[in-house]
Amino acid sequence: MKDFPKYLLNRVGLPNSHTLATYRAEGGYRAIEDVLKKPWTSEQVIGVMKDSLLRGRGGAGFPTGMKWSFMPDITKDPRPRYLAVNADESEPGTCKDRVLMERDPHGLIEGCLIACFAMRAKAAYIYVRGEYRLSYNRLQAAIDEAREAGLVGQHILGTDFSCDIWMHKGAGAYICGEETGLMESLEGKRGHPRPKPPFPAGSGLWKSPTTVNNVESIFNAPFIVRNGAEWFKSMGVPKSTGNFLLGISGHVNKPGVYELPFGLTARQIIDEVALGVWKGRKLKAFFPGGSSTGLLPASMADVVMDHDSVKAAGSMFGTAAMIVLDETASIPQVMDVTARFYDHESCGQCSQCREGTQWLHQIFRRIAHGKGQMSDLDLLVSLSNGMAPAKTICALADAAAIPTLAAVKHFRHEFEECIRLGRDPLRNESKHAPRLHEAHA
Amino acid sequence: MTKIQINGREVEADPKQPLIRACHDQGVDVPMYCYHPGLAPVGSCRICQVEVAGAPGQPSRVVAACRTPVSEGMVVSTDTPKAHDTRRECLEFLLKNHPLDCPICDKAGECDLQDYAFNEGQGKGRSSEPRRKLEKRKSLGDVIVLDEERCILCSRCVRFFTDVTKKAQLTVEGLGSHSVINTYMDKPLEGNYQGNLADICPVGALTSKKFRFQARVWNLSKTLSTCGECSRGCSISVESLRAKQVKRIRPRYNAAVNQWWMCDTGRHALAPLTRALAPEGEVLGGRLRTAAVRGYNGLECSDDVAALDLAADMLASHPGTLVIVSPFATQEEAKAALALAQALKATPQFVSPAPNALKDDLLHTGDPCPNRRGLLELGFGALAPADALAALAVAPSAVLAGERVLELLGHAGLALLPKKLRLVAFDVEASDLASLDIAFPVPTHVEKSGHWINVDGRVGVLNVALPPPALVRRLDLQLAALTAKLSAVPQGS
Repeated sequence: MKDFPKYLLNRVGLPNSHTLATYRAEGGYRAIEDVLKKPWTSEQVIGVMKDSLLRGRGGAGFPTGMKWSFMPDITKDPRPRYLAVNADESEPGTCKDRVLMERDPHGLIEGCLIACFAMRAKAAYIYVRGEYRLSYNRLQAAIDEAREAGLVGQHILGTDFSCDIWMHKGAGAYICGEETGLMESLEGKRGHPRPKPPFPAGSGLWKSPTTVNNVESIFNAPFIVRNGAEWFKSMGVPKSTGNFLLGISGHVNKPGVYELPFGLTARQIIDEVALGVWKGRKLKAFFPGGSSTGLLPASMADVVMDHDSVKAAGSMFGTAAMIVLDETASIPQVMDVTARFYDHESCGQCSQCREGTQWLHQIFRRIAHGKGQMSDLDLLVSLSNGMAPAKTICALADAAAIPTLAAVKHFRHEFEECIRLGRDPLRNESKHAPRLHEAHA
Repeated sequence: MTKIQINGREVEADPKQPLIRACHDQGVDVPMYCYHPGLAPVGSCRICQVEVAGAPGQPSRVVAACRTPVSEGMVVSTDTPKAHDTRRECLEFLLKNHPLDCPICDKAGECDLQDYAFNEGQGKGRSSEPRRKLEKRKSLGDVIVLDEERCILCSRCVRFFTDVTKKAQLTVEGLGSHSVINTYMDKPLEGNYQGNLADICPVGALTSKKFRFQARVWNLSKTLSTCGECSRGCSISVESLRAKQVKRIRPRYNAAVNQWWMCDTGRHALAPLTRALAPEGEVLGGRLRTAAVRGYNGLECSDDVAALDLAADMLASHPGTLVIVSPFATQEEAKAALALAQALKATPQFVSPAPNALKDDLLHTGDPCPNRRGLLELGFGALAPADALAALAVAPSAVLAGERVLELLGHAGLALLPKKLRLVAFDVEASDLASLDIAFPVPTHVEKSGHWINVDGRVGVLNVALPPPALVRRLDLQLAALTAKLSAVPQGS
């Protein structure tokens, strides 16, 4: 693999990388200083973000600059506006934001300041996943430190710009990572996603214009502001620019979080970055971007890892959380576990999702335990088509339906064999595998 | 107004209302569970999905009509295969864990799930999984019982308390397929509006304890009427079983008075309507069957023409009669009483009990006189029960007319009246009073037609929901007959 410029994780390895001193020594808070002292206009910041073609790193890949520009004109709409940073990283397989929050919290804070400046937001709320205790503590300490140094709060760096950053700890619900569910949760209600429209930019937190961004998207902002859109576009592929954080897990020799440019193939990533499938086994399948993205078989490992190519291959880039499965993995069991997750995490508002995620799980569980019927496979497809696309308030139903459709499409033979034999030939009979009667109903 | 197209028809729609409202206003049926016109829409059941044409070159979309605002030029189809398929799929999910115990469900016959499953659902379920087992009868207080298995989690009941009574009492507990409706901290429900939950529940999950297993709803005849428990005069539907007994009272939509709701006091005021008749040949011990006249052995059943003649004679020979009507008197009865009062040269008055403690911010006015405004407009004077009793104690004769008039004056007070008072009463039930000389039976307010005027001057209509007992005649006709007899009898004879 050829060498490429890195920027996201440069500070992460430094000693005391989470402190203001280290961050300052590495040129931190230079971008917001630039923006405030030069001074830039909000439109200029949004312009450079738009020009950089940065795509949101939270899963959908929506252009961040474009999202910022959706905020209503301040001269016509005097409501306060907010930035919400989605740090409720709970997509199975994803662990990238955690690295940034634990090891480089000031980078996120500076990104928040820039985003708030660009959108004229008076406050940013960082919604941190409840289990991320270290992230929360480090971020809170960093915010306190920055506030002390006059970088957060009133009259930042002696200018007219004021912006506060507040933290909120989630309570462990996956659905609160959905942007409208996150806003409900931030407001102190049940994390039930809201129907759109109205979109957050029109009516978000406390009915005010709000933008919800992923940690990594916000983290990119200071770099783009300092180095320019052209620098950013020089990395990656034309439609997916910059570097991204890949979280690779599963049956590989070296799982972890890596900074990579767009444009590598999945096989390159597995073999060269994660040093290949473990125990000398062969690759069977992989989730390209978290469990909500469709499973791809080994034969499709030459797909280029960028938003559009993965989509063309019938899956999604998602949060770039690759989950690698080797030849001993049983797809029915993988889907049993995956479906169980969505059954457990559905908020229960929409009929299709509440009942459908449970139903999918029940069917996958039966098949994985050798109690399936051949008609189940068509039923799985039919149910998934009844749940998605876009038939529910949020995308959780889609997230359960997409991997189901992909698994049945690519691994139908494996399900059929399970059903025909009345048992799973690849079943891992470890004591940790749940038995049918004790599995979560 | 915004111009949109629904099923190929150009129509005008209110841009402030969701699309489903525009469809319903046009008579286009779009099913709904979580949507209720009186509650904030949440768009969670997804049964109201309709097809909306996309921009030119774009494919059409399926949207939830309850959360989609109307926009100019929108092309909506509710009847396309795509729309039907989406709703059929949605129904299949809703029915997956529904117990299908319709044969023993109180809601069967008026159940939205049943109706739409019949209209749009598929004949056969595809699930071989066991259905969810949850609590079948969970008491939520004195009024409502919850069947968790039947619940489809539309959250109408939750929103009823947040949006209508403004005091949240219910919530969805648990996540996803484990969600159930519950009260906060398992406390029983409070307030005078719990009964509405059974009405707004689209399935048989929330049922009324009082109506539970009382009747199959398709056997109930529904009659439009007006509630008489306070001066609000909520529009109601009186539902009676085989023309014999009122089984249920439910609110009926009236934008100007009660919208979709009514209080439990009115809803459960069935006792005065279901009172048993007195034994054959007896006057006391139940509802009055026929006219009764005081004889040697107390009140005795009598022919009503003879009783009327006697009453006319008696009143004519004891001038200075008081005419006091019940606040339940309809405008028609009141007018007849007015004519009687004129014939007797009396001042028309009505019993006006003190306001009760049931007054609230939503509907109940606390005033127990359903037709106070109408009676005042006709020139009747309001008379507190104590004042009425004081006046009766010194009067030579009196006519008390109308449903519950004796009860509202107070039996204890009436019993103390002097024996020399010549008293003619028209009431549902007679009372063993020394002063009561002649009693006539009258129908209850569900057994007659007429009008009341509510606190805001709105006219409420009463219709005959049940036939009155065989020999019970309308009060206004009885009063008119008495007036006619009186003008035939020479005064002061």
